[in-house]
Amino acid sequence: MSDDALTQVVRMLAEVVGEDFLLDVEIGRDTTFNDDLGLESIEFVALADRLRDHYGDGVDLAAFIAGMDIDEIMDLTVGDLVDHIAATEAAHA
Amino acid sequence: MPDVTARGVRFHVQAIGPPDPGRPVVVFLHGLVLDNLSSFYYTIAGPVADAGAHAVLYDLRGHGRSEPTPDGYGADDAVADLFGILDALGHHRVHLVANSFGGVVALKAALARPDRIAGMVLIEAYGPGEDAGWVEGLLNTLTASALGLEYDRLADQLLAAGWRKTGRQIAAADALINRTTLLDDLARTEPVRPAELAAVRCPVLAVYGQHSDVAEAGRLLLRTVPGCTLHVMAGHAHTVLREGTAELLEVMLPWLAHHAGTRVPVTAAGGAR
Repeated sequence: MSDDALTQVVRMLAEVVGEDFLLDVEIGRDTTFNDDLGLESIEFVALADRLRDHYGDGVDLAAFIAGMDIDEIMDLTVGDLVDHIAATEAAHA
Repeated sequence: MPDVTARGVRFHVQAIGPPDPGRPVVVFLHGLVLDNLSSFYYTIAGPVADAGAHAVLYDLRGHGRSEPTPDGYGADDAVADLFGILDALGHHRVHLVANSFGGVVALKAALARPDRIAGMVLIEAYGPGEDAGWVEGLLNTLTASALGLEYDRLADQLLAAGWRKTGRQIAAADALINRTTLLDDLARTEPVRPAELAAVRCPVLAVYGQHSDVAEAGRLLLRTVPGCTLHVMAGHAHTVLREGTAELLEVMLPWLAHHAGTRVPVTAAGGAR
């Protein structure tokens, strides 16, 4: 399940930041949104839209990050997000 | 939420909290050039929605993920954009939460359509002033940035060095400052003078940093707007939204509960959030 979620997250990131940039970056679970991908805050919001479109309201990135400050959010890794998706899907299974 | 087209411009809009008819609508207005709706999305919009509001956030034209236009960056156009977006969304009467330049947009909106603005939280708001010099500080900062961006080609260098985020932010600022009418539009934007401020009918919560360059605007609001409360944040300058988020929420959530009918979260009183 989480491999599939990883594939989906990588696809969504490519849509948000552009394919040509991602060609230079190997995305894995340890990839950070800030340091490795250079994701802008507003692009993280756009990623949240795509997650909601794909997974439904259960994967609510706004709720997931509600208890974090902006630095904690930007320290998140792709793996953190994939785990959140997997946990949410398990809860709704 | 999908994009909304208003006045022929495509705006990036985000909503948090269900759009139930019983929920007050709170609309967030961000600052200029390097700012966009994400500064609210990651700070106060979630807690305001948790308190029972339907939070609406959008990127001003040319900012964030909204469509860039060659012109139309003055406060009057921003007010028309705001009401155009609210019309498209079907919201008639709303509360506004505005940061920095968003404040002058909020004040002019409340004066233009007092029937549609029920109350305002103004955070470090530009706009209140006695004369046309109000915007000078803002313009000087932006103009200095523009010169640097134009001659240094800084954005290209940063992008080439792999500093994607900083490079993109600077490229976006360069585009706005050097390739639109933004600076001219701002220079033509009139301040909101004391006589106008005295005519603001809705309740206002003004929040300013103790060491802010625009702190005088807060004192002017308190002196002139009949329903104004001023909260000065000790030790802070202009960046209270990001650096003083918890204290800001402790002040604005009870204010919104009183004036907009949202709930006061238990965590707000204890400051535990």
